[in-house]
Amino acid sequence: MAQPLVKKDDDRDDEAEYSPFMGIEKGAVLQEARVFNDPQLDPRRCSQVITKLLYLLNQGETFTKVEATEVFFAVTKLFQSKDVGLRRMLYLMIKELSPSADEVIIVTSSLMKDMNSKTDMYRANAIRVLCRITDGVLLTQIERYLKQAIVDKNPVVASAALVSGIHLLQTNPEVVKRWSNEVQEAVQSRAALVQFHALALLHQIRQNDRLAVSKLVTSLTRGTVRSPLAQCLLIRYTSQVIRESASNSQGGDRPFYDFLEGCLRHKAEMVIFEAARAITELSGVTSRELTPAITVLQLFLSSSKPVLRFAAVRTLNKVAMTHPMAVTNCNIDMESLISDQNRSIATLAITTLLKTGNESSVDRLMKQITNFMSDIADEFKIVVVEAIRSLCLKFPLKYRSLMNFLSNILREEGGFEYKKAIVDSIVILIRDIPDAKENGLLHLCEFIEDCEFTYLSTQILHFLGIEGPKTSDPSKYIRYIYNRVHLENATVRAAAVSTLAKFGAMVDALKPRIFVLLRRCLFDSDDEVRDRATLYLNTLGGDGEVVETDKGVKEFLFGALDIPLVNLETSLRNYEASEDAFDINSVPKEVKSQPLAEKKAPGKKQPTGLGAPPAAPPTTVDAYERLLSSIPELASLGKPFKSSAPTELTEAETEYAVNVVKHIYDRHVVFQYNCTNTIPEQQLEEVSVVVDSSDAEEFGFVLSKPLRSLPYDSPGQTFVVFEKPEGVPAVGKFSNTLKFIVKEVDPNTGEADEDGVDDEYQLEELEVVSADYMQKVGISNFRNAWESLDADLERVDEYGLGPRESLAEAVNAVISLLGMQPCEGTEAVPSNSRSHTCLLSGVFIGNTRVLARLQFGLTGPKEVAMKLAVRSDDIAVSDAIHEIVASG
Amino acid sequence: MGIWEALLNWLRSLFFKQEMELSLIGLQNAGKTSLVNVVATGGYSEDMIPTVGFNMRKVTKGNVTIKLWDLGGQPRFRSMWERYCRAVSAIVYVVDAADHDNLSISRSELHDLLSKPSLSGIPLLVLGNKIDKSGALSKQALTDEMGLKSITDREVCCFMISCKNSTNIDSVIDWLVKHSKSKN
Repeated sequence: MAQPLVKKDDDRDDEAEYSPFMGIEKGAVLQEARVFNDPQLDPRRCSQVITKLLYLLNQGETFTKVEATEVFFAVTKLFQSKDVGLRRMLYLMIKELSPSADEVIIVTSSLMKDMNSKTDMYRANAIRVLCRITDGVLLTQIERYLKQAIVDKNPVVASAALVSGIHLLQTNPEVVKRWSNEVQEAVQSRAALVQFHALALLHQIRQNDRLAVSKLVTSLTRGTVRSPLAQCLLIRYTSQVIRESASNSQGGDRPFYDFLEGCLRHKAEMVIFEAARAITELSGVTSRELTPAITVLQLFLSSSKPVLRFAAVRTLNKVAMTHPMAVTNCNIDMESLISDQNRSIATLAITTLLKTGNESSVDRLMKQITNFMSDIADEFKIVVVEAIRSLCLKFPLKYRSLMNFLSNILREEGGFEYKKAIVDSIVILIRDIPDAKENGLLHLCEFIEDCEFTYLSTQILHFLGIEGPKTSDPSKYIRYIYNRVHLENATVRAAAVSTLAKFGAMVDALKPRIFVLLRRCLFDSDDEVRDRATLYLNTLGGDGEVVETDKGVKEFLFGALDIPLVNLETSLRNYEASEDAFDINSVPKEVKSQPLAEKKAPGKKQPTGLGAPPAAPPTTVDAYERLLSSIPELASLGKPFKSSAPTELTEAETEYAVNVVKHIYDRHVVFQYNCTNTIPEQQLEEVSVVVDSSDAEEFGFVLSKPLRSLPYDSPGQTFVVFEKPEGVPAVGKFSNTLKFIVKEVDPNTGEADEDGVDDEYQLEELEVVSADYMQKVGISNFRNAWESLDADLERVDEYGLGPRESLAEAVNAVISLLGMQPCEGTEAVPSNSRSHTCLLSGVFIGNTRVLARLQFGLTGPKEVAMKLAVRSDDIAVSDAIHEIVASG
Repeated sequence: MGIWEALLNWLRSLFFKQEMELSLIGLQNAGKTSLVNVVATGGYSEDMIPTVGFNMRKVTKGNVTIKLWDLGGQPRFRSMWERYCRAVSAIVYVVDAADHDNLSISRSELHDLLSKPSLSGIPLLVLGNKIDKSGALSKQALTDEMGLKSITDREVCCFMISCKNSTNIDSVIDWLVKHSKSKN
């Protein structure tokens, strides 16, 4: 409402001693509300009762329909009082009670009278309440008065009408749109509040008309807006116009930038900040445009007002993500904010510094953060941990100090989410920075020695079981793991037993000791622990002499369950207890080819924590390997060098869905066609793909392995093998035709007819490209690896890439052409940059390590040029990479 | 002299101040709001808009202050009449005496209202308005049409008035003032 309802107590001590709202109870207040019906009203007392009712409503108390109706009608009796204060409470009460439409209409006439009253306060508040309760019919009756009110001399009345207009626009847009002239007049008002509300309403009226908004902004930016709030709004609308016009006016000066820059010199801080933020958020902002905005934000950083410091540091934090260089000037100011009393400001300052800092400042920052960590809440700590994680991935050389920091905070007190964030970060670092592995694993071991969270303990034990045996000295982890068997609850004990077994399976030297430990676990009090120990002892052959673990056992211990859990669940439900044991091989392995493709698609490493299935892509590669080795004809080919992601050969929603996976061997190429029959009335038999390799001269057909039968909705595979020259990245195009025998299926019995018809189905072409011969293998320190390769084996050349949409598009095109792994996050191209360096690594067929350094630059409008330097162990491979680019 | 009299009246009103509360009801377009205007200011206007909800007016006649709840007569407000009739000094029911078609509705609304237990014993004043029009009912006819004789549990009175010509308005005010006194 127009004026504050209750004066806020300045002195908080008084409040503690006596609160006027102590012990207010609904029933008692409703009794008190009877004073509204007294023939002789006591305005003071009535006001008090309304205050109590409002308090109850605000506390979330609800009135029943009967109670609300009683109170409402009693309150309407107060219209007889002329007391100004009570009338204001009366308006509030009607608004807050918001009775049903058929009841509230009773006050319409009284409100309309007040709306035309001589008392300004009556007019303003009556307008607000009336607009709140009005319907379309009534609105047309009062429209005339509302239009008058918009241009009322009294700013409170005008504002009330304007704000009501903003609300009414949602329900009755066509009525409010007729008020444009009055609203436009109000925009010119001398009163700040009116100008602000009028501008907001005017913009809302025109918001769907881009041209009108643009006109509005153009006329107002010439300087008739006095109110700081309205000026802030105008800045927002201006940036909206800039955003929308950006696409059609490329090049040249940005429209309205001068206006925004001018606002940086406004006398109101609010406006200065709004303008600075608008500038930082301009799409594709240049550093020249950014500088003045950063300068004012820097001034705000040392302001005495916490709100300004917060606003500035928060904006700079965002800018730091896209333009870290622009923010570095503020680093000194931000460092002083690390010790700010306000923890939100301090946290933002820290994380901004971590983003803008260079490699040399990391150590100093870490020291400062350490002092500060104990003072902040867990949620801020998580922000810091995440910032550190990304910092570590950015500067892999600094892993030692960052890892130490993480392990230190891991030892301190903290909640589950916080600890989980730390553990996740360590796990990601271990996975991405091989040098950090041993160090990180030890930190995790130390952590589980005193970890109160079962979930984290079991996850870490699982991770240890996979990574631990591969380290140089696996034996040092055993103690930590076996301690769990003594000290922890059953869940953790069971996980520890599994981990021990994994060490036993992988490291033969440790086997005897592991057997001793596992045997001790046989006397555990928990079933699951005992069961697991017995199982592992048997599978690892713990009763006899030490033998090398056989492959099946390893698979059993380490293999991910390749059966989708959904399918397993369905099969188990359908399984009826009988003499026959449940056969896990009968569970269908594929849910649909879709999720497989999805899992494979994000082949790049993503920062996935413990919660995510560890290393999803290798799992599918394992699945391919197992599938291929299960087919005698293919098993003889050896181990595939690389399996590609599935490529669809049919349109979505056709009769038969086919996709292909290319398996590259040293001397062969195997096409695996995954076929799905989507017609319930058909069964396909003798399904094969006829491949025409006339466009792929270097390839020679070896064999085709048809699929015996393809029933409805259960995918099957058919294979075609080609021979190729050894070690040569031969490329070519293949056209495919699906051949099969169609048999009708009786929908009732589900049985296929005896006779079938030969048929074929045209598939799309598939192509073997150079990228198929390249494995994506990341490395942590590109420079070291680069130096370690012989500089004589380097091949450098320059290429013109022709017109490109953007630099980023060109970079991505080359990366996917080469099929290599971008290192150190260099695949991300900052917007607006004119040159970029990208580092790639990979392993080429023949197990040759390849590193590439790509330097991109813009030579003309949208013309991109690239300098490519390749080093590898084999000069022929370096040449081959150049050939790929030259022919691509 | 005028000053003296005004002063005297003011003093008298201080000591003998009386208050009464009235509810004005009846079907729409019966002339309730016009009656309020006539009683309060003596003015009359042909051009009236329907009352949406209620108007609250305070009128001072002699040393009596009358609070008037002038309620809307449209069907959607009729269920709410009762809430504004509780504990009033008298219910004033206005009927358009020239509108024969709606008399039976007017009658049933009145009897419905009076049957509410919360309103028992409250005196009723029925006013037949618009007697300036040709075809307006006589007082006897109105009494019969409205079935006033059947109301026995309270004091019932009936006047024939014309807000337009201010006919009989004085008697209405007299009756009201009398009832404010009789109540105390």
